[in-house]
Amino acid sequence: MQFAQLSDHVETNGSNASMDLQALPGVWINSNPNTSGIARMVMSEANGKLSLQVFAVGPDGPIDWGSADVKVFAGVPTSKVGAGFTCNFDFGFAETELQGMIMKGLLVLAQFHRFKDDSKRADFFVREYYALEHGRYE
Amino acid sequence: MSSAVEFKQTGHLDPALLDPKAAANAEKLLGRWANTNRETRGIAECEIQRDGDQFSIQIFGAGEDGPIAWPRARTKALANLEEEAGQRTIALAANFEFGFMKSEIYIRVNKGVLVIVLYNTFQDDSGRSNYLNREFFYRVK
Repeated sequence: MQFAQLSDHVETNGSNASMDLQALPGVWINSNPNTSGIARMVMSEANGKLSLQVFAVGPDGPIDWGSADVKVFAGVPTSKVGAGFTCNFDFGFAETELQGMIMKGLLVLAQFHRFKDDSKRADFFVREYYALEHGRYE
Repeated sequence: MSSAVEFKQTGHLDPALLDPKAAANAEKLLGRWANTNRETRGIAECEIQRDGDQFSIQIFGAGEDGPIAWPRARTKALANLEEEAGQRTIALAANFEFGFMKSEIYIRVNKGVLVIVLYNTFQDDSGRSNYLNREFFYRVK
């Protein structure tokens, strides 16, 4: 078995069990009410696959980015429990890559914004925190 | 910034994105860094050098018989315009291709600690799950 670090080198049982996605679907709300970035995300599951719809803050109200397919990651190579994800949005003038990681119920989202137009804007990185709406205390 | 500029969030219109210094504060990232966990089974060490507006990242994975040198990656810095407590730093993002696996990583410094987050995707048929990891490093040089 090939590996680039010892944590890659694990015994697998040959199981083709699908990934447990239970922790990811739902509505995720930014903990910062003054964000100028992503305000809300809706993670949906269909046929064992996830997609993410993003709503960002705009000058005249929320901007719907639409949905993108999500790639799910476990916490270790022997796990079948989803603990994070990546997905990409291509807007033509810019690309945004999202990398999410769940920590103690909080979604830590790293955002990579790369501009493809001639606006001379710097590519930038933002890390924000999101909570899953559960309605239990309402 | 001109209203004719395309955007998908208010942050895309931040005037600071046009500041040439937006991604200039890179010194905090440079140097050789060792994992704070001496028993790590992930990344043991990382070296970051600057070459003009590019950065060279050399990673050493923990191996059975000593460190495993990953292929060197080159990348540009990403500005970081807002984070908690008004902190501003920069980040690096890079991809490493191993054939059997690829690793997407990002690196940033938080209060003198280098943080590396990895998203590892297996491309072989070993049955291993794609996995993520986060590790912390202190500067050794």
